[in-house]
Amino acid sequence: MAAISISGLVKRFGRTTALDGLDLTVGEGEVHGFLGPNGSGKTTTIRVLLGLLRSDAGSVRLLGGDPWKDAVALHGRLAYVPGDVTLWPGITGGEVIDLLGRLRGERHRARRDELLDRFDLDPSKKARAYSKGNRQKVALVAALASDAELLLLDEPTSGLDPLMEAEFQRCVRRVREEGRTILLSSHILAEVEALCDRVSIVRLGRTVESGTLAELRHLTRTSISVETVRPITGLSGVHDAVVDDRHARFDVDDTQLEPVMRQLAALGVRSLTSTPPTLEEMFLRHYGPGNGAADGTGNGDGR
Amino acid sequence: MTGAGLLLRFDLRRDRAKLPWWIFGTALLFLIQSTQSQNMYGDPRELAGLRETIGANTAVVAMSGPAQLLETIGGEVVFEIFGFAAIVVALMNMFLVGRYTRGDEETGRAELVLAARVGRRAPVGAALLLALLADVVTGALVFAVLAGTGLPVGGSLLVAAAITGLGLLFAALTALAAQVFEHARAVYGAVGLFLGAAWTARAAGDAADSGLVWVSPIGWGQRTLPYVADRWWPVLLLLVTAVLLVVAALALLDRRDLGDGLVRSRPGRPYASRALGSATGLAWRLQRGSLAGWVVGVALLGVAYGSIGDSIEQFVADNPEVTAYLPGGADRIVDAYLALTVTVGALLAAAFGVSAALRARAEETSGRAEPILATTTSRTAWLGSHLTVALAGSGLVLLAAGLGEGLAYGLTVGDPGQAFRMAGAALVYLPAVWAVVAVAVLGIGWAARAAAVAGWTALGYCAVVELFADSFDLPGWVQRASPFVHLPEAPLEAVTAPPLLIVTAVAAALTLAGLAGFRRRDVGY
Ligand SMILES: Nc1ncnc2c1ncn2[C@@H]1O[C@H](COP(=O)(O)OP(=O)(O)OP(=O)(O)O)[C@@H](O)[C@H]1O
Ligand SMILES: [Mg+2]
Repeated sequence: MAAISISGLVKRFGRTTALDGLDLTVGEGEVHGFLGPNGSGKTTTIRVLLGLLRSDAGSVRLLGGDPWKDAVALHGRLAYVPGDVTLWPGITGGEVIDLLGRLRGERHRARRDELLDRFDLDPSKKARAYSKGNRQKVALVAALASDAELLLLDEPTSGLDPLMEAEFQRCVRRVREEGRTILLSSHILAEVEALCDRVSIVRLGRTVESGTLAELRHLTRTSISVETVRPITGLSGVHDAVVDDRHARFDVDDTQLEPVMRQLAALGVRSLTSTPPTLEEMFLRHYGPGNGAADGTGNGDGR
Repeated sequence: MTGAGLLLRFDLRRDRAKLPWWIFGTALLFLIQSTQSQNMYGDPRELAGLRETIGANTAVVAMSGPAQLLETIGGEVVFEIFGFAAIVVALMNMFLVGRYTRGDEETGRAELVLAARVGRRAPVGAALLLALLADVVTGALVFAVLAGTGLPVGGSLLVAAAITGLGLLFAALTALAAQVFEHARAVYGAVGLFLGAAWTARAAGDAADSGLVWVSPIGWGQRTLPYVADRWWPVLLLLVTAVLLVVAALALLDRRDLGDGLVRSRPGRPYASRALGSATGLAWRLQRGSLAGWVVGVALLGVAYGSIGDSIEQFVADNPEVTAYLPGGADRIVDAYLALTVTVGALLAAAFGVSAALRARAEETSGRAEPILATTTSRTAWLGSHLTVALAGSGLVLLAAGLGEGLAYGLTVGDPGQAFRMAGAALVYLPAVWAVVAVAVLGIGWAARAAAVAGWTALGYCAVVELFADSFDLPGWVQRASPFVHLPEAPLEAVTAPPLLIVTAVAAALTLAGLAGFRRRDVGY
């Protein structure tokens, strides 16, 4: 059974359509990356999953229940880190962590203290004295200290320094080893690449791509730089080729890899390096205009 | 100070929606007091009567000011309103200067500004200039209002100068506190504490007729004795102190880092106490400070009202025409007076209730409701947590009004039992208080964006009907929509259960409807 399954989700705010037929399936025990340009509808989706927003159309199942009707029961099984962490002035970070834990019916003092230590967070500071990163850590520690079966993390590491980012990745791996599920919305592609089993990319409120990173790479091009025994002439099926006698650099569609390799083999390969597309390149293509979704105006805001 | 002028224009823009309310509010206080006093005691004979009764009442002197002021009608106006107006003006300056100094520093806005071609002292300079502008305009309006209502020009000028001077002193004090404390709330706390101490010192000093009043800037302001002795030198005292405070503030500013203070904020608890274990625990924690403030403030007002209850009887015996202002005629004049004043307490309790219920809305729009609602706390439980504070808290405020009034009145007539009688009388108004709060709840459930307007309009409407219905001659149907109208005017009228039950039922129905609406809408916009 999937932890999250959404199909054809529509959510409108007045005249803006924030979600326009979004699909998302997150299997149990997987870390699922949730990607998309600003304003594409990631936060809105998560808020529908939390039962804070009511969907206008489509079906949404969360842990086998209806997120709107069974909100309270489901919330006992999940933990959430909001994208924009605002805390109560005058209440310390430690108090917030304890409160959120108790409201979920949990008390894990040892794990909580361990996490505070790992994230180097002072729990006795009043909320207004925390920096942005430290506010983020308060919400993270509260969520990671729980033993919820599903973690909904909305850009949980925005504002964290690289050391803390590494600590976060360690924590996520541990959660995955325990067989729990994570939906991770993020703009940090290195993080997604390091952590996620599968990813979904949304644009303008619609899912444009979904699958494992390997599958997504499949749809793209590999850069190849090659040196041959005989001079290179008449390569076909390649893009942006720069040929200089026995040296060549070009991109090749993954589907064309085999024929191109045959041509090269015939020329006698002396050395060859192939670079898989970076995630960065891959996403820029999906995010950018004219790709993925049918229409293309940069991003979702201002429609 | 480079850039101070530019910042001043910017601050003025940011404050254009708030500042006028403070300024016109202050002028309005004087306008109402001046017309009312001249209507009631315009005749020298009436004023003499007032001097004998009120002037000899220690409690009233403690609440108002020195009895010497009662020599002239202008002095009487100052006696009644100056102490209160001083608080308003002090708070205006405190918030004004606090907001543009430590407030901006705390939120990081100052960093943005200081990174531009702006001098270190510019934000403080701009804030103080804005305060100066506000205080001078306030003074000018107060002068216009007092002189315009026929009081002597010289005395009116002195009142205006004292108000301006007092404002500047508090602006300067806030500028100093903003250098000392790290957080705006601590700045407000410190200045507020000083204001409370200044007011108490003046009250104690006036009551005992001792030199203690000279410890308090409010005392300096009142001891200018406008319209009576017209002393100008205490105004100088105010101005010189203000200048010294500004010099001290600038000296501290030059010696510290941006964002730092002299006093570091204390760390809090690393673990939550048992009390902070539920949504209701959180709601109480968030609102307990403001609830305590309301309880104390309204209790003090009750004490002020109660302490003149006995004098009212004597005063009315001397001036029978005053009965026209009180419901119930002359025979049960004291009960009529107590009923009217306890209603004011009830309106204030409703004001607390509305603000406490709207706190839920503020939590929602600031995004702080979301993490709570993402736990097993249901929507009903979450909104209910704030409603508990609103409903129970408004009951506490009401009780404080009744107890304070009963206690003070009981002490002056030698009957401590009055405290319980008045506490009971006050609680008779609780159903109406809840009904007003329920309108705000209904708004939160069904028309979230209009909730604040709905709540405050309901309260304002009830206040107009209760306090001015007779003077404005409002038609009956207009009045009947106010829940207060349907309740017995305790302690003047006999209390029967049916009206209380009916109004309570209406309040409950509106509240439940509001909760039902909240369960069905999107959260967080
Ligand atoms: N309460 C609301 N009222 C009106 N429009 C809204 C509301 N919430 C979201 N939107 C709109 O819905 C769209 C999706 O917003 P959402 O916050 O889900 O994007 P996001 O993918 O989380 O973006 P980001 O990466 O910047 O966090 C945006 O166009 C936004 O303006
Ligand atoms: Mg978002």
